[in-house]
Amino acid sequence: MNDLIGQIFHSLALVLADIEAWLAPYLPGLNWVALLAFAFYVILILSGGLTAILARNLVRATLGLIITFLGVAGMYLLLASPFLALMQLLIYIGAVCVLIFFAIMLTKNTADGEEAQAPGPLNLIYAFLTVVAVLAVAGPTIVTGTKDIVVRLPVDTGSNLGEGLLSMDLLSFELISIILLVAMAGAVYLAWRPQGQLDAKNEKRESA
Amino acid sequence: MTPLTLFLLASLILLALGLVGLITRRTLVGMLISVELMLNGAGLSIVAAAKTSSLTGLLDIHGQLAALFVMGLAAAEATLVLAMVLLVQKRFGRVTTETVTSLKGAGGSNYADN
Repeated sequence: MNDLIGQIFHSLALVLADIEAWLAPYLPGLNWVALLAFAFYVILILSGGLTAILARNLVRATLGLIITFLGVAGMYLLLASPFLALMQLLIYIGAVCVLIFFAIMLTKNTADGEEAQAPGPLNLIYAFLTVVAVLAVAGPTIVTGTKDIVVRLPVDTGSNLGEGLLSMDLLSFELISIILLVAMAGAVYLAWRPQGQLDAKNEKRESA
Repeated sequence: MTPLTLFLLASLILLALGLVGLITRRTLVGMLISVELMLNGAGLSIVAAAKTSSLTGLLDIHGQLAALFVMGLAAAEATLVLAMVLLVQKRFGRVTTETVTSLKGAGGSNYADN
């Protein structure tokens, strides 16, 4: 039994070595473990993204979005940016997805909501044309423009990022804090209903 | 084909998926989900491109910080869209994109004053 498992692993390693030898000229600087991880993350992104845009139930679409966020966090790990991967989990999955769940639940837009029916044929044609145009322009540009570029991957610690925030990107840092404050105040203002209006509405409802 | 190509193609996939969702979704919440997909693609492409100083002339740190700023903007945008969705729901009773067409004039308006 142990021999059999050992043989299986041995042949698997041989196949992987073959694949690596075959891919090595095309992908300098990327070993097969990283390639396997990359393929896994691409599968996560594709399946999650397709669920996010195709699911007729918005809760399922948000779950697909979470899968996609996980895949992108893995991509950040592969790009030697562990701090960004952590922030991806914290901000996107922890904050943005919860906000989207709030939006879905507060509008009661779940299983048999307005999203239940399929999109119109005209919208599908528009989407197809747009995507074909974008892919036709950006795809060849990416493939030809990034030839002969070798990615260096120094692992950054959080302290490097902190120094960058307080030196070169100080203005952006301050601006985004102002933007967050304004967005929060604006959201509160938009959803705010003054006390007088509430009373008037209640009186109208009671008298009716 | 280099590793950078693979990462940029992955972000292109995210952009295409988000575009399809943005056009085909019927509700504002669905469109918000698609916009988040596209923002993720943008962040990923920024980080990947900044890993090569020969391409952008920037340090790696600034690419990562730009992606962090994109995340902060996405959070602010999601907050505002949540407030707007609540307003639309309160005023029109539905959150499909076709309801918010009062500016279209005759026939396009189903404004219900609560």
